[in-house]
Amino acid sequence: MSEETKKLSRRDLLCGGARGAGLLGLGAAAGFLGGRESHDDEVWQIDPGKCIQCGLCTTECVLSVSAVKVVHSHGMCGYCQLCTGYFDPNPVSLDEGAENQLCPTGAIEREFVEDPYYEYRILEDLCVGCGKCVKGCNMFGNGSLYLQVKHDLCINCNVCAIATACPSQAFRKVPKDDPYLLRGKGAIG
Amino acid sequence: MKNEPGELKPSLDRRAFVRSAAWGSGVVGLGALAGYALKRTGSGTQTEKPKLGAEFSYDVSRFQTSDPALKRYDELLRYRVGIESARCIAVAEDGVLYVGGDEGIQVVDGEGCELAVIRLARPVQSLAVMGSDRLLVGQKGRILVLGLDGRELESWDDFPEDMLPTSIDVSELAVHVADAANRVVRKLNEAGEGIGVIDGRSGVVEGVGFKVPSPYFCVKTGADGLLRVTNPGAHRVEAYLPDGRLELAWGRASFAIEGFCGCCNPVDFDIFPDGSYVTCEKGLPRVKLYDAHGVFTGVVAGPEDFPEYLAVVNAGAHKAAGAGIQAVIDPAGRILILDAIAQKLRVMVRKESGNE
Repeated sequence: MSEETKKLSRRDLLCGGARGAGLLGLGAAAGFLGGRESHDDEVWQIDPGKCIQCGLCTTECVLSVSAVKVVHSHGMCGYCQLCTGYFDPNPVSLDEGAENQLCPTGAIEREFVEDPYYEYRILEDLCVGCGKCVKGCNMFGNGSLYLQVKHDLCINCNVCAIATACPSQAFRKVPKDDPYLLRGKGAIG
Repeated sequence: MKNEPGELKPSLDRRAFVRSAAWGSGVVGLGALAGYALKRTGSGTQTEKPKLGAEFSYDVSRFQTSDPALKRYDELLRYRVGIESARCIAVAEDGVLYVGGDEGIQVVDGEGCELAVIRLARPVQSLAVMGSDRLLVGQKGRILVLGLDGRELESWDDFPEDMLPTSIDVSELAVHVADAANRVVRKLNEAGEGIGVIDGRSGVVEGVGFKVPSPYFCVKTGADGLLRVTNPGAHRVEAYLPDGRLELAWGRASFAIEGFCGCCNPVDFDIFPDGSYVTCEKGLPRVKLYDAHGVFTGVVAGPEDFPEYLAVVNAGAHKAAGAGIQAVIDPAGRILILDAIAQKLRVMVRKESGNE
């Protein structure tokens, strides 16, 4: 082999390097897209039977306001006058005064139905997903309030920051076309 | 490398290049490692997450202890029950205790020794001893009548399919079944035929109807012949005349020891021969005493006596929702308490009068 052919010119080195880098980039992009495709038919959701209302849903979500919100099973609700998900444990009186309400953001409203029943509704724009009302409902009531990832808000990160932090492993992937774990439907609770 | 005179000195030889490249890589690697470690430990100010304030925590710890001076009973015995998902108890005149759960009934003597197990295919919701030889077993949609040896004698099935019989009371006047699913008390004769329904709305005093958000709804007939029924959503115990009209009611909502806590308590009660009551609450597990007029007189067991129960409810675990406490008074005047979370039975005896 002559001295001429043994030498690698700077141009050859640059060309080879660029070609290699391009191939590597293509491979990485293909792998990334392939990997994404396999998860596109699944979304994150909270199993209400495992959730312990630790508050991390509020602080760990990458969105400025968490995609986790309280949902309310009206079929299970007792429509109680003294709702432990709505009222402070020791309310001054059983009315809608802010000092009597449990929710720090005022995200639950109630409406008189008929004596002695009241309907409770979640104001989703105000809810930060802290789960304080869920704890009150679980502890004293029948668990008709619980947390769920709202998929009109969630951006479905491949690695969900809340799922990573969740101390009770309550987050799991569910089919995208059936994205909620409602009480009595796939949820342990 | 030594240069000949007049030869241009190269700015960097191969060895120096490799050395400096290795140094550079090492420094970059160390920096990356440090950044990664900083991120993992969360000590970097950029990655620190905000914490929720105290206003976001649900704290009822101040209600989870009771004043020792109010305690009127001591624990004599505590044992784990031997039936899966035990939820109801009944005691016979001879002191034999029946514990009902998902797989059937455990029969134990007054000291907690197992006498027998009666296996049943469907979960037991409630139990009552009828006379000296029959056991009424409440199951969803039916009442099963067993001999005390476990033989099936008959099945009363003339009920709605969704009937949830959470309590059965047998008196000289009738058999009463509390149906938590339909929020009514069903009055039956000794043959199990329906002879009336109490909905809690009509009476001498104004009735509000039975409010039963959780499957806890209890009936007992007092020595005065009035049927006592819990109305947990109204936080009271109501007394009904034999014709089904509401005669009187007592109780109020409060986390204070004198009241009934949460959205729906009391979940269970029993009546002493003098007309006074022992009541049970869930959420804050409390077993308390009230006189015949509904005036609070003391504590049998406070929340601090149920550590397993408190551990579950404080952790926010879903199984806290709907977990109850049940109590019966045995012929010796002892109070038997079933803790549905710990699956334990406690035998409580009255303190000596000097120790109260």
